[in-house]
Amino acid sequence: MTDATAEFFDALAQRGHDPMLGRFKGSVRFDVKSGNRTEHFRVAFKQGDITVTHDEAEADCVVRADRSLLNACAAGEKNIMAAFLRGEIAVQGDPQLLVLFQRILPGRKQSEDALAMMDAERSES
Amino acid sequence: MSNGLVQILDGNTFVVSDSRGDIEASLTDPTGLFSYDTRFLSKWVLTVNGQRLNPLSVDDLQYFETRFFLVPGTGTVYVDAKLSVIRSREVAEGFHEVITILNHDEMPVDLTVRLEAESDFADLFEVKDALKKKGTYDSRIDDGQLHLMYQRGTFSRETIISTSASAKLDQRGLTFKVHIEPHGEWTTSVDVATGLMGPGGEFRVQVKDKQARKRARQSMEQNLDKWLAEAPRVECDWEPLQSTYRRSLIDLAALRYSPSIAKGQSLPAAGLPWFMTMFGRDSIFTSLQAVPFTPELAATTLRVLGAWQGSRVDDFRDEDPGRILHEMRYGEMTAFEERPHSPYYGCADATALYVILLDEYERWTGDTKLVRELEFEARSALRWIDVYADLMGNGYVSYKRRNEETGLENQCWKDSWDSISFHNGTLPGFPRATCELQGYAYDAKLRGARLARLVWKDPALAEKLEGDAADLKRRFNRDFWIEDGEFFALALDPEGKQVDALASNNGHLLWSGIVDKTKAKAVANHLMGPRLFSGWGVRTLADGEGRFNPIGYHVGTVWPFDNSFIAWGLRRYGFKAEAAQIAAGILDAAEFFDGRLPEAFGGYRREVTKYPVQYPTACSPQAWSTGAPLLLIRTMLGLEPMGDHLVVDPALPEGIGHLELLDIPGRWGRMDAFGRGRVRVEERLGQRAQLGAIAHGTTNGKTNGRKRGEKLTRARRTS
Repeated sequence: MTDATAEFFDALAQRGHDPMLGRFKGSVRFDVKSGNRTEHFRVAFKQGDITVTHDEAEADCVVRADRSLLNACAAGEKNIMAAFLRGEIAVQGDPQLLVLFQRILPGRKQSEDALAMMDAERSES
Repeated sequence: MSNGLVQILDGNTFVVSDSRGDIEASLTDPTGLFSYDTRFLSKWVLTVNGQRLNPLSVDDLQYFETRFFLVPGTGTVYVDAKLSVIRSREVAEGFHEVITILNHDEMPVDLTVRLEAESDFADLFEVKDALKKKGTYDSRIDDGQLHLMYQRGTFSRETIISTSASAKLDQRGLTFKVHIEPHGEWTTSVDVATGLMGPGGEFRVQVKDKQARKRARQSMEQNLDKWLAEAPRVECDWEPLQSTYRRSLIDLAALRYSPSIAKGQSLPAAGLPWFMTMFGRDSIFTSLQAVPFTPELAATTLRVLGAWQGSRVDDFRDEDPGRILHEMRYGEMTAFEERPHSPYYGCADATALYVILLDEYERWTGDTKLVRELEFEARSALRWIDVYADLMGNGYVSYKRRNEETGLENQCWKDSWDSISFHNGTLPGFPRATCELQGYAYDAKLRGARLARLVWKDPALAEKLEGDAADLKRRFNRDFWIEDGEFFALALDPEGKQVDALASNNGHLLWSGIVDKTKAKAVANHLMGPRLFSGWGVRTLADGEGRFNPIGYHVGTVWPFDNSFIAWGLRRYGFKAEAAQIAAGILDAAEFFDGRLPEAFGGYRREVTKYPVQYPTACSPQAWSTGAPLLLIRTMLGLEPMGDHLVVDPALPEGIGHLELLDIPGRWGRMDAFGRGRVRVEERLGQRAQLGAIAHGTTNGKTNGRKRGEKLTRARRTS
């Protein structure tokens, strides 16, 4: 299934590294439900290196969410921390890892100016 | 708020009640039991035989515990003293209340004791803005417990009330039928637990059994004792300073907040009761004030704010990569994205202040490990200043909210709508480049350069930052300086025009070091002159400005926090006497508030009011007001880490003969600092000794720092 969730985790696997996570080590597993089906995305990070697998191996933090919600989060339409406060996702384990992970998700409604600034910064670095 | 009693525990759970211990909130009234920004009890009223009780006295035993002594009858005519009622309340994930009724009569009594309970489950934002709820209410009685419930979609909150004595429960409260023998007593305990969706998705309710509660309580008491024992000690011949210092330490302990991400470590929340949450700016300023006393607060603040650092562009939250958050909230409106506080980033100063705190922390503690750990965060913060904060493309930090509905208009510390104005009172457009933001950016660059060289081993970055800082300073002193007034403009407007009001921000410029030496004297003269200095402290806005109002929130009141940084700034440029005078005024004011400085007080002239007039709705205690006496002690003693040493260069206000700060923690282990001054003895008898009212002079003590165990040589020099 290709949707925002799948695309997001694919892109994350391809990127393979994010310095933002440099000082943290851990794993977050997303158990994503749509209908009767549950798909697993397990993200492990260590010194900024990111590995994405599709197994149900243990993780420091396990997040259960509906696929539709995660699609909206992966598309920047909804905020996963707000969803957490609403009780719409269930989190087990170390919530700090969710806080760190959610920073990789896109933000809501990007203005042209801000996008241009971000592009300028990227080309600069 | 002024008549309310506040108890707090465990970060963001607190009770605000009246002096009887009762809660009777309306949508706009701020009493209640609050947890995670939600009101879990809006009504909690105790009656005996249908009568309300009358308070005799209230004991604030600890910051998490209060005892109310009451008698039946509402006091105006006659108090029936044959019964007394004691309510003892402890806050801990909800609260635990013990109600005791004593019968002083020779006859037995039969009483109907009633507790009315109700919850509106209001979000703090709803309490502030008087908004209507969107979810549904329910209640049920189950297994001897009364459950009050609120549900909106997947969002649910619940208050659970249980009692030790047998009670008749109904949807609106509890009734006890009580028989008490002559000179006998009756007692019950009542637990109010708060429930919310917890990790795991199961409903999480915190009900502690007696043993667990006892342990929690002991650990809180031990924690407070340990906190007080580990802080440096103050010895001073002017007694009020000692009590103000102790009050500050206790309040700072109460204001500690442990977000789950901090793994048991705590950082200062902004203020009680409405700001028991992470605020980028407030947590950083308070940590800066407290670095010489409790440096671990700074370490946690840096770690936690770093973990939440902005990572993307999000217009709703005014977030950019590298930006440090403004405010985090947990209530219903945040959960439904009706407010952007998950977290909200609309704050233009916290990011530069983050780098400043990191450097200041290292200078005191020598903890280069943390500086290395936070290298990415600090670099991102420095990049934010150049890439995202320069909204006008003129090389200055400015702000303009992208969330125009619920974002903050003014993203500097003076964040009320009318805080930034021209001399004639008109308001500038956006973006606004307020002057202190440029100072912070300058300081952040220089401090970042030091860390780059020392810890990150990146001399190229250090050189670039120093070059940028020098250029910023040169331009700033040209573009913000108001020639004929001889002070710095409050801001530049979108056209680059000077916003020409005279404001306390000039003091923060001294603190940052961005002011040319040749201009510093004129700036200091303004700060201490009659338009800005009230006698108690420096006003936020000068008398004579179009919008000046001595009780206007950011347009004329005196803010203790603001003054503590101004005093630091004055010291930085060598104005010791002036810094001491500010310390004197603010510490005098603190004594009037029993050692607990409010957020702000009136900017009336001291000669007119004789006492400082508290600003009506200010939060108290407020973290950065609590930190102000600490920073003032630092500025009076002239404490400055230099390499592995602590330099002490005291300048005490008149009225303080000696001041000692013992066991100052830092890279040197523990050290003591001493200052000596002169006391004028020809005060009029019967008058309370006030520091700032004596004279405007100060005395310089002999510098004295010593390592523990070293021989102390105390010399005395007066000027």
